[in-house]
Amino acid sequence: MRPIIRQITDKAFTFLTGTSVVLLTFVLLIVLGPMVWRGAKAVIFKDTVEFRKMQLDLYNRGNPASLKIQNTEAESFRKIVYETIDTFKHGIDTEELIDRTKQIYRQFGKELRYKGITGEEYQKIRSLARELRDKLQAAFESNDKKIIKENVDYVLQYRLYKDLADTAAAEFFTLAEDFLKSIENIDLNKRQQYAGSLEQVEEIVFRLLGPKPSEPLPALTMDRYGATRWDLAQKLLDKLLWSEQWIQKEAGQPLVKIRVSRAEEFAGTKLEPLFSYVQNNLDKMLLPRPRFYWQYFIDDSTPGHYFGGVGPEILGTLLLTLLAMLFVFPLGVISAAYLVECASDNIAVRIIRMCINTLAGVPSIVFGLFGLAFFVLFFIPLFGGPSKPCILASSLTLAVLTLPVMIRASEEAIRSVPQSYKEASLGLGASRFRTFVKVTLPVALPGILTGVILSLSRVAGETAPILFTGAVALGPLPKSLFDPTRTLSYGSYDIAVGDRLAMMVPHNQYGMVVTLVFLILCLNTIAIVLRARVFRKLRGN
Amino acid sequence: MKRIIVCGLIMLGLVLASEMIAAEKQALQIDGSTTVGPIADAFAEAFMSNYPDLEITVKKTGSGDGAAALVDGRCDIAIMSRFMKEKEFKKAVENGIFPVAHVVAMDGVCAVVHPSNPVTQLSTSRIRDIYKGKITNWKEVGGPDSPIVVISRDTSSGTYETFHGLVMNKEEMGSKVEYVNSNPQAHARVKTTVGAIGYVGIGFLDANVKALKINGILPSRQTITTGQYPVARPLFMFTNGYPKLGSMTYKFCTFYLTETGQEIIEAKGFVPVTNY
Amino acid sequence: MITDSTIQGQQLRPAADKNQSLVLTPLQDMKGFLLHHIGRMLLFLITCSSVVLVLLIFFFVIRQALPFFTKFSLIEFLTTKSWYPEAATPKFGALSLIVGSLYVTISALVFAVPTGILAAIFLSDIVSLKIRDFVKPVIEILAAIPSVAYGFFAVLVLAPWMQNKWGFTTGTNALNASIILSIMALPTIISVAEDSISAVGRELREASYGLGATRFETIFKVVMPAAHSGIIAAIVLGMMRAIGETMVVWMASGNANQIPSPWWDLSQSVRTMTATIAGDMGETPKDSPHYWSLFAIGVVLLAMTFLLNIISEYFLASAKKKTGKS
Repeated sequence: MRPIIRQITDKAFTFLTGTSVVLLTFVLLIVLGPMVWRGAKAVIFKDTVEFRKMQLDLYNRGNPASLKIQNTEAESFRKIVYETIDTFKHGIDTEELIDRTKQIYRQFGKELRYKGITGEEYQKIRSLARELRDKLQAAFESNDKKIIKENVDYVLQYRLYKDLADTAAAEFFTLAEDFLKSIENIDLNKRQQYAGSLEQVEEIVFRLLGPKPSEPLPALTMDRYGATRWDLAQKLLDKLLWSEQWIQKEAGQPLVKIRVSRAEEFAGTKLEPLFSYVQNNLDKMLLPRPRFYWQYFIDDSTPGHYFGGVGPEILGTLLLTLLAMLFVFPLGVISAAYLVECASDNIAVRIIRMCINTLAGVPSIVFGLFGLAFFVLFFIPLFGGPSKPCILASSLTLAVLTLPVMIRASEEAIRSVPQSYKEASLGLGASRFRTFVKVTLPVALPGILTGVILSLSRVAGETAPILFTGAVALGPLPKSLFDPTRTLSYGSYDIAVGDRLAMMVPHNQYGMVVTLVFLILCLNTIAIVLRARVFRKLRGN
Repeated sequence: MKRIIVCGLIMLGLVLASEMIAAEKQALQIDGSTTVGPIADAFAEAFMSNYPDLEITVKKTGSGDGAAALVDGRCDIAIMSRFMKEKEFKKAVENGIFPVAHVVAMDGVCAVVHPSNPVTQLSTSRIRDIYKGKITNWKEVGGPDSPIVVISRDTSSGTYETFHGLVMNKEEMGSKVEYVNSNPQAHARVKTTVGAIGYVGIGFLDANVKALKINGILPSRQTITTGQYPVARPLFMFTNGYPKLGSMTYKFCTFYLTETGQEIIEAKGFVPVTNY
Repeated sequence: MITDSTIQGQQLRPAADKNQSLVLTPLQDMKGFLLHHIGRMLLFLITCSSVVLVLLIFFFVIRQALPFFTKFSLIEFLTTKSWYPEAATPKFGALSLIVGSLYVTISALVFAVPTGILAAIFLSDIVSLKIRDFVKPVIEILAAIPSVAYGFFAVLVLAPWMQNKWGFTTGTNALNASIILSIMALPTIISVAEDSISAVGRELREASYGLGATRFETIFKVVMPAAHSGIIAAIVLGMMRAIGETMVVWMASGNANQIPSPWWDLSQSVRTMTATIAGDMGETPKDSPHYWSLFAIGVVLLAMTFLLNIISEYFLASAKKKTGKS
């Protein structure tokens, strides 16, 4: 081959190998980048007064006095929003008005009976009230302003009627008057359309500002507070100002999403000024401030991870991993010690090594099956424990999973102790056992510790073995070793695909995964640094 | 180094000890369907705020698992989106468990598509053909020219059972059907995939997916309670025998009759059994 | 006399105790003998725990799978495609599952092997030690990221990207799973391949350079053939990692029970054995045919990985023999 071609191929090859490594770094950044960026938002973000209220109620954090001041400040701006909606609503939401007339009628009837009015007079007054109620209902339901005016005037005639004044029925008249006033600017034919849109607007305002101060507290925690994060509030604001509709531009083609300004939709009505008002004053209604929510790592979460943090998950992961380490450390170190110190190359030792390698190769889900079949259904009940998934079963399964890693790392560490140390100690007359315990082991300990930390990081990230042996997605803190627990790994899986509420709070989804990755990377970095130091120390000899 | 290990062990010991010292709380174990899951979660939340000593655990891994847990005695209440099968019932009776069903809400299994899909209604036979793989492109049913991505729940799910029974007429689904493990996952798949069709419980409908009319009927509160909607079903809570009056299990199973319970069921998008 | 010497206040036991005879009594001798050998036996037994565990794993998994194999035909299990375990007449055809696992694994290797070997060559031959120490952490971090995080990425970032930017009909498909599996298998392949390439002695390389070969020719024609067993072992280990992976394929492969119809169409959804076990186990009542069938799949998985393990062991052993390392 011509030399120049050989040179070109050589350079091209070098370039190719370089690109593969660059590709790897690129891939790493792509995988970690978006997750870390979005996950960081779970801890560092702009919170609102609703968030501070929630923190005070659920976690007893914050200054009640200053919060009260902020609340009143926010309330003063929010009042206008509620008032605007209410005045508009009275012209539109006739169902509520109709229900109210029914209630008034019933109450009036009760009052009459209480006063002791009976017989014919009772019938007369009652039927008059019924007539008024029916006329009012007709007025509420009709779309024709003429008919409405007719009915309302008819009702208002009886205003000064002595039997009705100062009773519950007097409210009929205030209702009629208010109604007349509120329908002044409204195109009644559009009522149906307004009603649908109005419902959406009310829903968004509810999510933004929380329940009205006069309303009873909703049953679910997630409904009790408005937008707790400023970015969420911005998204809701956008939804408030623009409604999205899917319209068909061409037949047989997918529908296209268009945005319609809601202010235009409600043009000319009492509701129109609401939108620009909210847009301009949202920050005064929510009082956003930057926040470093480090308590994310210790807080419990409300059901669905809507509020709160990942404290129990971190605790669960730590429990499982530390317990697994407890089981595997003595087993691993002793096995490694035997393999290095006492083993000769006979068939038994070869079988042992083969089995260690086999263990290393078993898929993690098969460990899960084994954990289920052996630990949950056989081993723990053998000692009288309950036959259900629990922390003990999970940590035993994880211990078996990580045994080969531990043995290999310990073996490597013990072997790397220089022979001269051992010979010196033996030369001084110490027994082999003593040499090992007092000389070899302390020198090998940093290396063994590196192995421990690497095992820890591997075990913390495992999900498949704990799926059926001890992990739950939602549940209380474990009370004993025989309870299941939440963990970061299983929680991340569940929150990514399984939980509907969590889909509404993506920062929590990413937050949990990033916490897990962060934990594991920290452990790995410590191990790497430790190994480098040990390597340097031993190489120096 | 040794000191670090010793400290770690002491910390572990303290953590374990502290948990065992914690007071004995009353516990209620609930297992089962992902459809009824949100209702059970919300009930549990309301309960735990009223009774701080009560600990309720809700596991949502599917109706089948809920039934199995009740039969094994591992849970107090099994939430299921279908009635117990014959073999589950038999096994329960063999184990001395006598399942009693409480209907807490009504649900409709809704066929959903991406909001950009112009198709608004399909008949049950069309849906059946789509799921069997006979119809593979949206243009065959009046939509745009794009392949259909068929999403189904896994075969152990109660939602799957209802769909399989009432829409598929118990025929097998085609081989290209993608399986997901829960209602929220099905919802997420349809929300993000333009050519997808899936089915979810009515509690999972929102602005991100579009519900189709099946045989001309749109799923709504009214059409489900009157039975007009063809794929309506009750949602159950099963207990071992009728729960003792006044016990926590009893209160939980009858919570749907209270006004708060009805509010919660409606807030979650399901259809309350009573009209309050 | 050193009997009364102290160092820093500690009493030293004299090295030569005049009252003790130099010859051991039979009792002491036997005690020492027993202690030594019983101690070794104890250590041996503890070390045998790993053997015991492997045997237990095989025993218990097979035990729970046996009821399935006695009641349902093995041939049907391995060769038919209908997997309907909860139907009125349950059918257990696991062919699509087995093929699905192999399909994503081999596609993953198609991406991972070239990249991995090139990177291994880069690390062992082309760059200086300093840059190598810089690049190694990248690979270790890739290896350390838990599979759940990869699955998260696959479902929430890669799948929508595939659908929106690349125009796939569905984002959870075999391609998605293969890409992520290849990323996960890469660190294994790189580290084992790099070890075996580095283990090829300097003499081979120097001889080749001495004859006037370029670096490319040296690596490609001399070093790699010398290290070929190690490289094959690396590939097999990477394959083991990919075939045993659960969370990523569960979340990202779509779980459609089919074999893609043009076999090269990676944009179709597939289902693997691991995802089936993970997905179905939570909802299956204990001791039902469905439950046993999941253990049967576990047995198939175990058999496959065991076989791959033996193959990789063989190649690693032959690599060690060649380079004379032990």
